[in-house]
Amino acid sequence: MITANTLAHTSWLIPCYPLLGAALSFFWSPALIRLSGPRPVGYLNLLTTVFALIHSAVALVAVWGQPAQFLQIPWLQIADLNLTLPLELSALTLGASLAITILNLLVQIYTVGYLEMDWGWGRMFSLLALFEAGMTALVLCDSLFFSYILLEILTLGTYLIVGFWFNQSLVVTGARDAFLTKRVGDLILLMGVLALYPLAGTWNFSELTQWAQTHAEIGQLQPLTMALIGTALVAGPVSKCAQFPLHLWLDEAMEGPLPTTILRNSVVVATGAWVLVKLQPVVALSPFATGLAIVIGSMTALGGTLIAAAQIDAKRVLSYLASAYMGLILVAVCTGQVTAALLLVLTYAVATGLLLMSTGSIIVKVITQDLTQMGGLWSRRPITGLSFLVGIAGLIALPPFGGFWSMMAVMEGLWQQQQWALIAVVLAANAGASFAIMRMFGLIFAGDRQTMTTRSPEPLWLIVLPMAIMAGFTLHMPLIIRELSLYPAAAQLSLSSSWVLGWALVFSSMAGLATASFFYVFRRVQKPAKLLPPALNQLLAYDFYTPKVYQMTVIGAVGSLSQITDWLDRYVVDGLVNFVGISSLFSGEALKYVNAGRLQLYALTIAFFVAAISLYLSWSYLT
Amino acid sequence: MLSTLVWLPIIGSLLIAFVPFKLTAQQSRTFALVISGVVLLWTIRLFTQFDLTNDAFQMHEFMPWLPMLGLNYDLALDGLSLMMIALNSLLTWVALYSSVGSMERPRFFYALILFVSGGVAGAFLAQNLLLFFLLFEIELVPLYLLVSIWGGEKRDYAATKFLLYTALAGVLILTAFLGTAWLGHSTDFSYQQMLQVDLALPTQVVLLSLLLVGFGIKIPLVPFHTWLPDTYVAASPSVAILLGGVLAKLGTYGIFRFGLGMFPEAWSLLSPFLAVWAAASVLYGSVTAIAQKDIKRMVAYSSIGHMGYVMLGGAAFTELSMVGAISQMVSHGLILALLFHLVGVVEAKVGTRQLDQLNGLMNPLRGLPVVSALLVLSGMASAGIPGLVGFITEFLVFQGSYSVFPVQTLLCVVGTGLTAVYFVILINRTCFGRLDNQKAHYGKVSLTEQVPALVLATLVVVLGLQPNWLVHWSAATSRSLVAAVPMTHEVQVAIQPPFQGF
Repeated sequence: MITANTLAHTSWLIPCYPLLGAALSFFWSPALIRLSGPRPVGYLNLLTTVFALIHSAVALVAVWGQPAQFLQIPWLQIADLNLTLPLELSALTLGASLAITILNLLVQIYTVGYLEMDWGWGRMFSLLALFEAGMTALVLCDSLFFSYILLEILTLGTYLIVGFWFNQSLVVTGARDAFLTKRVGDLILLMGVLALYPLAGTWNFSELTQWAQTHAEIGQLQPLTMALIGTALVAGPVSKCAQFPLHLWLDEAMEGPLPTTILRNSVVVATGAWVLVKLQPVVALSPFATGLAIVIGSMTALGGTLIAAAQIDAKRVLSYLASAYMGLILVAVCTGQVTAALLLVLTYAVATGLLLMSTGSIIVKVITQDLTQMGGLWSRRPITGLSFLVGIAGLIALPPFGGFWSMMAVMEGLWQQQQWALIAVVLAANAGASFAIMRMFGLIFAGDRQTMTTRSPEPLWLIVLPMAIMAGFTLHMPLIIRELSLYPAAAQLSLSSSWVLGWALVFSSMAGLATASFFYVFRRVQKPAKLLPPALNQLLAYDFYTPKVYQMTVIGAVGSLSQITDWLDRYVVDGLVNFVGISSLFSGEALKYVNAGRLQLYALTIAFFVAAISLYLSWSYLT
Repeated sequence: MLSTLVWLPIIGSLLIAFVPFKLTAQQSRTFALVISGVVLLWTIRLFTQFDLTNDAFQMHEFMPWLPMLGLNYDLALDGLSLMMIALNSLLTWVALYSSVGSMERPRFFYALILFVSGGVAGAFLAQNLLLFFLLFEIELVPLYLLVSIWGGEKRDYAATKFLLYTALAGVLILTAFLGTAWLGHSTDFSYQQMLQVDLALPTQVVLLSLLLVGFGIKIPLVPFHTWLPDTYVAASPSVAILLGGVLAKLGTYGIFRFGLGMFPEAWSLLSPFLAVWAAASVLYGSVTAIAQKDIKRMVAYSSIGHMGYVMLGGAAFTELSMVGAISQMVSHGLILALLFHLVGVVEAKVGTRQLDQLNGLMNPLRGLPVVSALLVLSGMASAGIPGLVGFITEFLVFQGSYSVFPVQTLLCVVGTGLTAVYFVILINRTCFGRLDNQKAHYGKVSLTEQVPALVLATLVVVLGLQPNWLVHWSAATSRSLVAAVPMTHEVQVAIQPPFQGF
């Protein structure tokens, strides 16, 4: 008899369903596709996702209100290394798994509509399933080592899914940059993983937490070692979350198909934050690493919103906002507010998923991503417009919607720690985000219709339905937070300070919304970008010239180093050997007679001489 | 039991070469495949007979040959040899399978490949230093011919270079062997007796250095590597698979078996230096690979980098790093063979190996989608993406070495990052991009051409997901190898190393 408890104890199956779907997608690879057409692969993967969803939901109900249970799955025992995959089954992990599967289901339905005419369904759905499997496994697994493995696999997944339309050159460079940037972070993380084990003797998060607590009390660890390890451990999340200076990949990854962007911007980037949450006690051992992460997070939060406000590509606005919000989450984690950070991840993921779904619904019918070519869509696209507005409300701090409560939780924590500067950062980032997203709304929906927007009906129901469901989730977020008591208890302050913080947040949102509405919804100024000095405008529009900086530093360095080494290899190392060694002696005149017919003879000569030399060397011994 | 592995291919080789009636190319290929298939099955049988708990040599086979020289026919097997034998049997089969039927002098070609395979198996099993040396040297002639007759452009130059380098390596190795025996007043060259030889530390260091340079040429380690790109590129895909997949392992095998095994004290003295050398090789190979415009050359340079990990694991000689190093030898062999096979198919179908001419092969209709997909898989395996066999073996090396040589290990981790860089360049230029419809009239890739790649890819994935099946064979051997070495990592290098690695 299968009970809820059995399902909870077989939660390791949750990532296996989508993985099975991904594996079976092989049968719809191009050579075989002619037999059935590509559609069955989509339905198959939808089915496996539904299985994963139901399993997550039932298991969540079963473990609700109970202490975390652990499953151990042995993997590799060799020498003194014992790698066992520990799974943590708790309301938190299974809840995250449920959220991921729900979002994946919606995205897959959306994909059926969005990529209706595409031929690459097999690849698309198997990669979506791979992401689903990877992420559900990541939230369930309780080990740094296996988290690293999963992050790396997701890095490969990002490469392949961004490179989905691989015959376009921008897609190819985007995929390359996404892969390499994330790989840099992964490998620095790997260095941390390698270095941590000899010290802590474990990679299990729960044991690492204990280890960190005992050592924080005794304080016998080398500050320098811990600073290096802490920095390495932060580097992985920094690259996953697209934080400065490893943020460019998320922007370039926008070249991939939009459904994957929904998944990537809402949950895939958050995997970095999830790992950082798990590692927080270890990172906290080093003030340097913590401080570094906070500085990086704050810079990205502020810089990201500024850059987002200057983009004219619809997807790029949202990609820089993703970086900015991840920056806030990084700040929250590294100031020790784990629950508030996770709440922010949740409200952000739902709202940004909705915003991207609405944006996709526009793009698929307008056939451009250029915001300057849009406008006047409000009357044509009411459902999408309303969804977008709901998304805005859920994203920024606007009571009573979700984003307000998660930002409130972060702010209250910062208030308790008297981190005034960080409070200012949150307020400024919120204002900037409000401005950027409202500007986008204005550019798409307000103003006059343009050539591209004259004919633009609502798209297929397969796109509208997931969007509407997502809007429902966003609207219900405050209820979900209250019913499941997700609001961190520790963050609740006295009434007076809460009022101050609440109003400050509302004012910052209002300031951003009002300014953006003034310029872009009501269009009171022609060409508002002209108000800024052109240099500043360019600086923001071109992402602080990060691509050029990369080109001049890392890419340039590796490129010229490889050219120099190659030159050295051809002319110095090889040349020297040829010059000094016997090869120059032989290969010149003496071997001229070597032609195909006499090769055997030549080889025999060499063999003979080798034998002769050996004989000569051993002569004295033999006689 | 063991002799079959050595003599069956050699007898087969002689049969193909000398049977008096006419054999077509296809018949000789089939015959060679049958022989190597039997050897492969025999190897699998070997796995079932292998005693995992026994850390000593097993399945001894002894026959006096020239006792007055100290040369006897003496074979035995331990975990290290077993892994190498398995790699050899498998890759011989793959190399034969991936050869094209239409070539000049097919009988001679298949005879030589089988001969190499038998000889290499003998070298991996030899328990007598002279026997090992004999088999090691005897490989050169057929390989020289394989490169120089069936190779690509510049084959004569490459073959000669290969021969001269390896002959030099042979001389150094022989000198070291003879030196050990004579200075140690050993009565014969059997490995067990050599282990008992007790030499002064400076002598050990000199002899070990000779071995390191000798085998270092074979592996190869920087700066003795310049024969490698030329030879691998000039060789036909089947021969490149053998050279990179199996023959290079003779170098690391020799270093572990004879260097580490016979001179443990000197080894622990030189190990910091070796670790630096390994890291330098990794970085040098990877960085140079980035600049290559020819995909086969790129893969060849990647091999230099990856053999560096094996050396790192050996230098650290913890139990874990040794298991990692031995497994890395296998995983490198599998991945490199896969890469060379695919590059060969691409070259055969598209007609070029140049990155600036290749484009868009992933195209499902007119490109080579399956080959491209496998190329992505093998590139990522080589770059150490988890879930594939390259990751876990590199990881074991890193984890085992980190506690001993942290800086060198981290430099090698940087090397895996650089590996990702050049494989992304390779995949982006070769598989991705827009296929030129005017030019793309590629022949269809037949199932025969896909089978070796599919077999190897399956192994790469399965062993990556279930690494236990790969690593536990060499666990006992690693333990005993490490136990023989005094743990003196703290000892500073007292003597200036007699050669400069880079």
